[in-house]
Amino acid sequence: MAAPRTCGLWSYCGRGLSRAKRSCGLPGLRSSSLWGPLGARLLSQEKRATETHFGFETVSEEEKGGKVYQVFESVAKKYDVMNDMMSLGIHRVWKDLLLRKMHPLPGTQLLDVAGGTGLAWVLGDAEELPFDDDKFDVYTIAFGIRNVTHIDRALQEAHRVLKPGGRFLCLEFSQVNNPLISRLYDLYSFQVIPVLGEVVAGDWKSYQYLVESIRKFPSQEAFKEMIEDAGFQKVTYESLTSGIVAIHSGFKL
Amino acid sequence: MATLLRRALFPLRRLPSSPRPAADVPFRARSHGAGLLYPDHIPTSPLQKALLAAGSAGMALYNPYRHDMIAVLGETTGCHTLKVLRDQMKRDPEGAQILQERPRISLSTLDLGKLQSLPKGSFGREYLRFLDVNRVSPDTRAPTRFVDDEELAYVIQRYREVHDMLHTLLGMPTNILGEIVVKWFEAVQTRLPMCILGALFGPVRLSAQSLQVLVSELIPWAVENGRRAPCVLNLYYERRWEQPLRALREELGITAPPLRVQGLA
Repeated sequence: MAAPRTCGLWSYCGRGLSRAKRSCGLPGLRSSSLWGPLGARLLSQEKRATETHFGFETVSEEEKGGKVYQVFESVAKKYDVMNDMMSLGIHRVWKDLLLRKMHPLPGTQLLDVAGGTGLAWVLGDAEELPFDDDKFDVYTIAFGIRNVTHIDRALQEAHRVLKPGGRFLCLEFSQVNNPLISRLYDLYSFQVIPVLGEVVAGDWKSYQYLVESIRKFPSQEAFKEMIEDAGFQKVTYESLTSGIVAIHSGFKL
Repeated sequence: MATLLRRALFPLRRLPSSPRPAADVPFRARSHGAGLLYPDHIPTSPLQKALLAAGSAGMALYNPYRHDMIAVLGETTGCHTLKVLRDQMKRDPEGAQILQERPRISLSTLDLGKLQSLPKGSFGREYLRFLDVNRVSPDTRAPTRFVDDEELAYVIQRYREVHDMLHTLLGMPTNILGEIVVKWFEAVQTRLPMCILGALFGPVRLSAQSLQVLVSELIPWAVENGRRAPCVLNLYYERRWEQPLRALREELGITAPPLRVQGLA
């Protein structure tokens, strides 16, 4: 996500597959030498416990990070042109509105996560940021948090690295509030987008994942609660384009 | 009206969906493998197929290097024709065997050493020479994805894998002119819409001179041979490596090309 050059900006790319692997699963189990029925049952229980969604597919938490990584490796080349095509350029308006809300000033210490590339960029893991506590004035994440395996941990990390008084801003796909528009949106999403992905980028599956992952993301209210659970206060949200996307905001007080 | 719309939007195989209120969301069963007719299968609704067909045709014209788009065009428009081809194969003894045994042509299934040791002029040896000179490999064929019938998916896969054999039989190189000639032959033989479209639109990027040669000599020759030859999908090529190429051409009624097209003949 681009930002004015007058701010101190750490545009930060959230990858860190190997980190994500470490934070998943239960260490004790791997080294357990309990074989036999009891061990097997424990194993299967734990396996079920560490399952999550990858679009409409069910995968283990360990796998998810890797699969998301592959999706973004695959879409990177045609990312901008596909965004323009899929949203008919409207994604630029959304990002513009986010920036307006942020109102960055000279000297603002800004962290943009899952940004891809930026002015000064650092590679790391959204669930385990390589920054000290209380460092940034603003933390933004645009169309990134949906893909994180443990959203709650990413929110906690956001809270940690923000200074007191700092602001969390998230631009993300959300739930459409109007039933008619919802049907049209679903129609467009599932019938057109993967086709566009195949024709323009030769990649059906990544764009199928994209539209499915949007459906799996919590609603405006539910996400607001998650942000509050992470310790943020004065949490609000603003729906854009009938709720296709929403900007959530919270403060570390 | 609602049912019509529904049919256009749902993939052919309806599956129990996850609790989703919207009726237009096709369920993707990829995770469980259920509902997939073959490993690379992507179920699509009629609307998606129509959009894919239009999009792939446009993209293939815009960027002729997008071979994947030709493949997609073939899969999304060949529904009816593939059935006809499959039925034709069933009626022929050699074709029926192919349908039953489902041979695949790839680097892993071909015994290149054996082909190399065959006498010069044999079909197998000439096929190998064709691959070599044109620097192509049988492994560049994309797997079928959008065909909603597992047997028909094999038929179109077989058609793709046999394409290089046709180059060898017709003595056509893999440059644009050679490809168009083979497409005309295939169009007459298979009647696949993708072949017909490729044959008609392929020449748009040719120079006037090439176009002239194509229209006056090569196309008539390809069409004549295509009509005369029995269905080329009914040949169990893997059992004919030792057969002299000349004899095979005679068997199929394929005559020598009217002129030598630059490249491998």
